[in-house]
Amino acid sequence: MPTALPHYAFARGAIAVIPLSLACAPWGLLAGSMAIEAHFSPLEAQGLSTIVFAGAAQLVAIGMVKSGASLISILLTTLLLTSQHLLYGMHLRSTLSVLKPRWRMSLGFLMTDEFFALVSQYDRETFNRWYALGVGLTFYIAWNLFTLAGIVLGKSIPGLEHLGLEFSIVATFIALITPVVRDVPTVVCVAVALLCSVGLSFLQWESAVVVSGVLGMSAGYACKRLGVGQA
Amino acid sequence: MIFVMIVAMGLIVFFNRYLFIEPRLPVRLTRGAREFLGFAVPGMLTAICGPIIFFADHRLNLSPANPYLLAGICAVALMVWTRNVLLTVLLSMALFYLFRWWF
Repeated sequence: MPTALPHYAFARGAIAVIPLSLACAPWGLLAGSMAIEAHFSPLEAQGLSTIVFAGAAQLVAIGMVKSGASLISILLTTLLLTSQHLLYGMHLRSTLSVLKPRWRMSLGFLMTDEFFALVSQYDRETFNRWYALGVGLTFYIAWNLFTLAGIVLGKSIPGLEHLGLEFSIVATFIALITPVVRDVPTVVCVAVALLCSVGLSFLQWESAVVVSGVLGMSAGYACKRLGVGQA
Repeated sequence: MIFVMIVAMGLIVFFNRYLFIEPRLPVRLTRGAREFLGFAVPGMLTAICGPIIFFADHRLNLSPANPYLLAGICAVALMVWTRNVLLTVLLSMALFYLFRWWF
């Protein structure tokens, strides 16, 4: 939609990401309150969300600080835990690498699982940078507000992680996956990714998500190359 | 000390995010690579959903009465039927809470 007005496209992106932002409320609150519990100062706790902006990495790092892990092991874990962004970057390369540096840097900084889920469906013609900014910035602000709330409320939040809010992540992702599952290789990809992610999580692998994602993608790609499902 | 860690983590995460969208990075994706990346949406998003569906509250739950599983299946059906993302998300969330209350 090249004629779309910037503020309209921005609003469209902001609205699209609202369910996903709300889904992250428990984790944002947890990221704030856990940091305080691990004796971070409020400024450090907020800084984690403002500078790092990666939920899983933040929560794991806080846990590691608490248990006295070394800086190097924390940084290596961060590298592994956020390595799926390398794939997202590769996938979004055709749309993001042609932008001006400040747009590229900003959207690069705002790239999350949620951002990828909503923005990756556009190609170079249909991509709108304002839409992408609406998605990314809204999610960033929401994540930081939830962290702030977590810092303020501290330990006084009862059982927030048991509310089931994360189902909205599942709901949104399923709504995005379903339309692209149109051939046998994609079915194989989804099945392998699902089985591996459950199996590896059961074995408590730290990088379960990215490993199973790559295994699923490889399985789908192999099927396509071998011509599975073609008459 | 904590701030050194935060800034270093920030740099690492930004490196992962930014590396492949830098135009000066000399990679040209071959047709094979692009085909492989075409599976990124179903592959990665499924891998994120899997543990949420089957490990609610950190315990493996393979029961057919698992509300995440039931509502997830409904979300697939709703999406096939309505072709509307927002409607699918809202209805399947309503169903999720219904199932949770039911079982």
